[in-house]
Amino acid sequence: MTDATTLLREPWAGLERQRQAGKFGIWVFLASETLFFGALLLTYTVCRVEHPDAFAAAGRETNIWFGTINTAILLTSSLTMALASQAAAQNGRARFLILTCLGATAALGLAFMIVKGFEYKEDLDKHLLPGANFALPQAGAQLFYGLYWLVTGVHAIHLTIGIVLVVRLVLLGALRRIRLRGSPELEVTALYWHLVDVVWIFLYPFLYLVERHA
Amino acid sequence: MNDRQFRRHAQHLLFAWLALLLLMLASLGSAYLPLGQANAWIGAGIAVVKSAIVVSLFMGLWRAGALLRIVAAVALGTWCILLALGGLDALERPRQPADVQAPQQVAPQLREER
Repeated sequence: MTDATTLLREPWAGLERQRQAGKFGIWVFLASETLFFGALLLTYTVCRVEHPDAFAAAGRETNIWFGTINTAILLTSSLTMALASQAAAQNGRARFLILTCLGATAALGLAFMIVKGFEYKEDLDKHLLPGANFALPQAGAQLFYGLYWLVTGVHAIHLTIGIVLVVRLVLLGALRRIRLRGSPELEVTALYWHLVDVVWIFLYPFLYLVERHA
Repeated sequence: MNDRQFRRHAQHLLFAWLALLLLMLASLGSAYLPLGQANAWIGAGIAVVKSAIVVSLFMGLWRAGALLRIVAAVALGTWCILLALGGLDALERPRQPADVQAPQQVAPQLREER
């Protein structure tokens, strides 16, 4: 059985057409995601302009070590995902390399979630959840932390979906239920993963690098 | 893609990853310099450069066809319109931030109403 017949799905007549359609579809989806997170970042910017002192005080309360470690983890996971995608595009026997890179990507995604869990616990211990027992006296600081929990929570949901998609590929690939070499599914999953990384690239300076010199 | 091409491409990806880590450290270091409002601009600027590297090299937009580039350009253009209109609206309004009522003040009132 050839690669094309193994990978081809309904309703497509040819693999190349299926690949193009998959890429186009995921790029349109990623464009809508860009606008979704873009609107949240705009909201953050407007609130920061309105309450500069409160945002500075609140920004200094975020844990810069957790944020920086998580940024490095996600950037590295993007490298392993890009390597998996490239290995899937080559002609040689690359199954082991693809599985290794995908496994590393999922492991790094899980590591990100674990670090984020420790960070959330610390935030809760410091009473940084907006509400009756909020730790900071500046009222605008609650806006910062409202947005902090919202955007990091939505990002964590996206990353969890990404981890599930990658683990699915690893399991199906390891059990030889799908062929990973030349798989459009792998390409689409990789594009989704990279967008989750891009979102975090913007969240890092906005949430963790606010007025650190003060 | 043959093995040699793959190795060369993997090397490019590795260099891109190193550049991303260096840029992350640069934004971290710059945050500790007292530069006033420039701190925020530098952080945002470095984030734009990092995301451009990820989108062009890791996501392959650099080598993608016209259709995918158009989709990306439309997303970016629409986001710029959103930022411009939203930003102008916020900047043009008189600076009168609404008082944010602390929940500590609201809670006793709610209890009395019950």
